[in-house]
Amino acid sequence: MKHKSGKHSPIFYAFLFPALFSFAFVIVIPFFLGIYYSFTDWTAMTGTNVNWVGFANYTAVFNDVTFLHSFLVTVAFAVINIVVVNVVAFGFALLVTSKLKLKNMYRAAFFMPNLIGGIILGYIWQFIFNNAITAFGASIGSEFLATSLLANRFWALLAIVVVVTWQNAGYIMMIYVAAIQSAPAALLEAAHIDGANYWQRLRHILVPLVAPAFTVSLFLTLVRSFQQFDVNMALTAGGPSGMFMDRALPTTEFLALNIFNTAFAFRELAQGQAKSVIFFITLTVIALVQVYFNKRKEIEM
Amino acid sequence: MKKVLLAMALLVVMTLAFTACTGNEDTPADTAANNQNQADTSTDISGEITIVNNKIEIDAALRDFARLYEDRFGVRVNVHSFGGETPYAPALAAMFSGGDEPEIFVMEGMTDFISARDSGRVFDLTGQPWVNDTSMEFVYDGRVYGFPVALEGWGLGYNVDILNRAGIDTSTLTNVNAIREAFETIDAMRDELGLTAVVSMAAGPGMTWVTGLHAFNAYLSLGLDYNDTTIIDMLLAGQVDEQRLMYFAEYYNMIFQFSNPSTLIVGGYDQQLGDFGTGQTAFIHQGNWIDPTFAEWGVDFEMGYVPHAFLPQDTPGIFVGAPSWYVVNARANNIDAALHFLNFMASSPEGHEYMVVHSGAVPAFYSVTHIPAGQFSQAVNEWSGRGQVYAWHQNDMPAGFGMNTLGPIFELMAAGSIDPAEFVRLVTEAVATIAP
Amino acid sequence: MKNFFKRNNIIAELFAIGLFLLYMLPFLMVIINASKPVLDIIMDPLSLPESPTQFITNVQAVMDSPVVRYASSFLSSTIITVISVTLLVIISSMAAWVLVRTKSGLSTAIFMLFVAAMVIPFQVVMFPLISWFHRIESVTGLLNTPFRLLQNYPGIIFAYMGFGSSLSIFLYHGFIKSVPLELEEAANIDGCTKAGTFFRIVFPILKPITVTVIILNGIWIWNDYLLPFIVLGAGNDVQTLPLAVANFVGSFVRRWDLILTSTLMAMLPIVIVFLFLQKHIIKGMVEGSVKG
Repeated sequence: MKHKSGKHSPIFYAFLFPALFSFAFVIVIPFFLGIYYSFTDWTAMTGTNVNWVGFANYTAVFNDVTFLHSFLVTVAFAVINIVVVNVVAFGFALLVTSKLKLKNMYRAAFFMPNLIGGIILGYIWQFIFNNAITAFGASIGSEFLATSLLANRFWALLAIVVVVTWQNAGYIMMIYVAAIQSAPAALLEAAHIDGANYWQRLRHILVPLVAPAFTVSLFLTLVRSFQQFDVNMALTAGGPSGMFMDRALPTTEFLALNIFNTAFAFRELAQGQAKSVIFFITLTVIALVQVYFNKRKEIEM
Repeated sequence: MKKVLLAMALLVVMTLAFTACTGNEDTPADTAANNQNQADTSTDISGEITIVNNKIEIDAALRDFARLYEDRFGVRVNVHSFGGETPYAPALAAMFSGGDEPEIFVMEGMTDFISARDSGRVFDLTGQPWVNDTSMEFVYDGRVYGFPVALEGWGLGYNVDILNRAGIDTSTLTNVNAIREAFETIDAMRDELGLTAVVSMAAGPGMTWVTGLHAFNAYLSLGLDYNDTTIIDMLLAGQVDEQRLMYFAEYYNMIFQFSNPSTLIVGGYDQQLGDFGTGQTAFIHQGNWIDPTFAEWGVDFEMGYVPHAFLPQDTPGIFVGAPSWYVVNARANNIDAALHFLNFMASSPEGHEYMVVHSGAVPAFYSVTHIPAGQFSQAVNEWSGRGQVYAWHQNDMPAGFGMNTLGPIFELMAAGSIDPAEFVRLVTEAVATIAP
Repeated sequence: MKNFFKRNNIIAELFAIGLFLLYMLPFLMVIINASKPVLDIIMDPLSLPESPTQFITNVQAVMDSPVVRYASSFLSSTIITVISVTLLVIISSMAAWVLVRTKSGLSTAIFMLFVAAMVIPFQVVMFPLISWFHRIESVTGLLNTPFRLLQNYPGIIFAYMGFGSSLSIFLYHGFIKSVPLELEEAANIDGCTKAGTFFRIVFPILKPITVTVIILNGIWIWNDYLLPFIVLGAGNDVQTLPLAVANFVGSFVRRWDLILTSTLMAMLPIVIVFLFLQKHIIKGMVEGSVKG
């Protein structure tokens, strides 16, 4: 089966063809089309002329304060979200691999929110934040809870983190569970006998053993955090408003939503394409850097 | 590695080969030139037509009317409705890019018109029989391009019973001082009247269609002749009338201060309607489209409109206009049947009944005698019958400007983060960016 | 590991139960409020349902809606999810297998291409995708046939094959790396063709990761909104449940009674499937992600 470089059996091409074909037609070609459109005045309306405009869309994007703001707030969200999701997921993984009686039930429960789509989930949580928690806050006389958290730009960002964590932690948990279960029990037992306490065993033995799982989980949460759209749109729709560089703008509008609004609310489709190209390049660079450093970390550990 | 590069290059070439010809292969030369068949609208119609509707609420009524039309004339009418969370413009653009050319679709204002015109999709409706029966047709450069779907209107809605009990004569509420006085009177009697706030208003993130568009329209048209476009023209040139804008900002600041803070900032539309519908507020900042919701909820107290009179002088009128127009698609196959269908809707008793009784709209045509069932719709009908109306200019602002640029500024004032003077400054700066 | 919580077993159990309840609370909110009339929901979301029949009334209202067409939307969602996932499993496992077993620059490059595509934001390809599909339809003459791409099953399933292949190949690739080569070599000696080796020997070994691939893609496709919105369009004959739910809510009014009820009805099928197959799913997910 092993082939030397440059020699590929017919089966190689035959087996690869269906996946590569659909991949090329659905992603690669539209992707290049999208890049091409970002240099034109394309409107997506069939029947209109498409004219080459050079870098005009990109110049407009770089002068767009809302885009800069979205960029920064997305980075802030991604950093917080990556940490929170992974810490929670890892904690869940420890919990459901322990000796707890109902651990199977917990495992299923933690995974369940992952079954529901982001739009639907966003509405449910909007309802919880705006209606249920405020009603609860009013009934216990807490002024802090009686005002919706979504009305404050800082708490609104954290609210998105809460919802996204609720949705994703169960899935990331599975990856950690797998890594923990495949860690050699003998090693941990030995450390236990040597008198290492729980935290020491966790830090020095278990965490290094599951390092590859961290790489995968961090990559997945990084990409998902940056691409976050559904929950953002359905939960806060970008709100509340705030000031940034002397402009009033939506303070929790992440990149994907900003692009969506550029294309659909402002009807600047080509500018939206330019933004998504910039978005893509940034994400690629960040993901590469992240994977590179994680791989190095893995070896060091 | 070379092969990969080769493969990628091949894909790029393929892509470019396809896009190189994305130009307009078949744009109809000039839509005005196509306009010779308005005379014989009742002859030779056949086949089927498709109508795109952007109000899911009237889907059932429109389908019934389409069936009636098919039984009568043998032309099948496919109804295609978008609504709710489905954003209309991209849904329509997706339809067009997918090669569908519905005979009739809806446009919501100048931006839609320009994009439809540029892609060769607007059919000239000048001279259609119904044009003389309305004043709300969409006109551009002296030609008619849109059939008004309905009339809509808004003012400051009020609960008749509550205002009576507070001893306020609503006919005097035509300038800002009178309105302020009324607000203060009612505010002082809140406990007695069982109110949580004076006004029901929502200005949060999902409500910028109310603040950035409807509310801002007061600045654009209050007190002006129906065809007076001075303020909107200034805006499109990047300028504001500072004095007028200041009055406007102070009026809205007042509305916000007399609102329930939680409804105002995060409550949303349901909460806003709920507060007013359950008698917890005396006023509401909404249009007549809320009638069906109140009907569903069984809200049956008496209500009416007073003007959003933000100026010191009297401005007795509410804002009435057509929110959307049907456009006949010049690139569609069955234009004759589409023209006939619209004409039938505007001129037949069945069409009138559909528009008013079944879809609950305020009719845009003089000849319609039905009276809408909803109380706010009736109020719009009355104000408009007396000719006390101001125009809708909010849809002539650039796409996204009202909801996405102005909306956040309103929200900041609602949250108390900025005062009216700061509001004026931010709006002035935002408007300045419009200048061509 | 096994001794953590030993001393504090009861506290840990209580903590876990508390966490569990907190986690389930949003579901409870949906169920409670789906059984109330709309004004009750807005005015007091925490109150318990008053009438036991209100839930049935709400379900009836969703069922009767000509926009939701629950039965037909359910069927479309099922068809799209099942076929897309099946095809994804087949094409991704095949591709991943040859990519792992062929050590060459080309093979590595293709694999990297698939992985790299995971970072492409959907927005970049969204609109170009439809004009491109439409162009294919017109050029190939598929437009007026039952096999047309847009507003129809083939296009959306094809799109999912493309969008789903990256993660699926990534998962299979990681798993296959850990499958010993000896089995395949033995099969080769026994006279199996390569394709035969794959389908008879390798594919069954991949079961754990196949379960993972099915779950992840199944959940995603069942719930997806934007791609069906773009490819199928709103309000057409073929519509998925999320499209139906989003399209029937009034323009600006949040009819929470109907939204929550339809939400519940949209997620119920997948939750039921999950609860029934829970054991297998979780086992598969865990085994499958060991090397993922």
